[in-house]
Amino acid sequence: MDIDDLLAEVSVDSISQETRDLQELTRSWVAERVAPEILPWPSDLMERVLDRIRRQIELVEDQTGNMDPKTNFKLIVIQTELERFKFLVRSFLRARLKKIDAHPLHILARHAASATDLLPLLSPAEHQYLTSHQALLTSHYASSFLSQFPASLQRMDDTTGGISMVDKPDEDAAVFVRVLRDVGEVAVEGTDKRLEMKRGDVWVVRWSTMRGWVASGDLELI
Amino acid sequence: MYGEIGNKLVQHAKRTQSLAHLPPYQTELVRAVTREVRDLDKDVGTILEPFAGSFDPSTEPAAACALLVNHLCMRRNKRCLLAYHRTRTDKLEEMCWGGIDVLERQQEQQANKTGISDDVGKIGADGAGSSLSPEEEEYVRQYSDLLAAYKGQWTDIDLTGSLEPPKDLFIDVRVLKDAGEIQTEYGAITLTKNSQFYVRQGDVELLIAQGYLQRLS
Repeated sequence: MDIDDLLAEVSVDSISQETRDLQELTRSWVAERVAPEILPWPSDLMERVLDRIRRQIELVEDQTGNMDPKTNFKLIVIQTELERFKFLVRSFLRARLKKIDAHPLHILARHAASATDLLPLLSPAEHQYLTSHQALLTSHYASSFLSQFPASLQRMDDTTGGISMVDKPDEDAAVFVRVLRDVGEVAVEGTDKRLEMKRGDVWVVRWSTMRGWVASGDLELI
Repeated sequence: MYGEIGNKLVQHAKRTQSLAHLPPYQTELVRAVTREVRDLDKDVGTILEPFAGSFDPSTEPAAACALLVNHLCMRRNKRCLLAYHRTRTDKLEEMCWGGIDVLERQQEQQANKTGISDDVGKIGADGAGSSLSPEEEEYVRQYSDLLAAYKGQWTDIDLTGSLEPPKDLFIDVRVLKDAGEIQTEYGAITLTKNSQFYVRQGDVELLIAQGYLQRLS
């Protein structure tokens, strides 16, 4: 353990929960926008953030009648901050929805596999959106043309002929990562490249190799 | 035969991607491709009939080859159809997210189009002016409901709001079309054409998206 680690520990504890949540939300938002596949739903974090947004909205509503210049100014600061928080959450949710719409069946299968995990892939609302949207699409295809097809060709998840109908995101896509904690030497699968990843480094690597460290918080996507 | 019409559909889909509006639904082409698939399937049945379930590809290479081509064509046609419909539904969903009332706009277009006769030739056999198929109209209706339901769980966030990072709490806007009276925290504002206001961005975002207001920078 050297001085950097000691400093890191001290600084993490002295920061308030609110600031850490903002940092975490920003990090999740960046990660979700950059990562090629959908990341697990951060349910605790989102609950805290949404709760705080609701409280701030109530505060703003309570005090808008007040014409005192001092509170009025404070309100503008609060509202500006609120708008920024709302933007972060909105953009985060939309980024997830975009992925859900792009690879519905693949994500549904992965969500089912992660249902018993500590962190399921999707929030209940997202899962519901995904299933109803998929049902809508299927019935739309069926009524437009698929119902007149031979029965053997009506499936939506056919894998015969060497081509799977279920589309997958490109898990080998390159991402930018910053190293938050020393990882040590990393071998990139399928190549003979070995990387020495040290705290503070920035690398461009394929996502499939980095996935585990991003999940454990040793790396962050940028 | 063998995927030519499917190709046309894909070209239509490709073109749709770069258009701002949705071109008319190709009812005829969709029907033709579906018919082709059924014909090919019948062909497969006829080829297999004399063998009565005991078909061995290695002894009958010619029949096996015909079967393979037919199967591949059917699958390809299916993919073309799926791609065509998916491109269109994506477009429709985008409109739903953008706060555009697709069905209302269709009716407007229909009203406009009655005067133009050369467009009618391109529209499907049923001759209706709408560029959506009845199935697509139904889909839009249900997707709007689904979207509203999902949005309803995030009332504080306003999911369809701007995806640009907010810079200012208040912005200058000019009114392009009369939009009536809106309620804000600072009282009611009447939006009459050509007037200008300094308002909170969150209050007027939807009106900007719908084209009633223009943001001044």
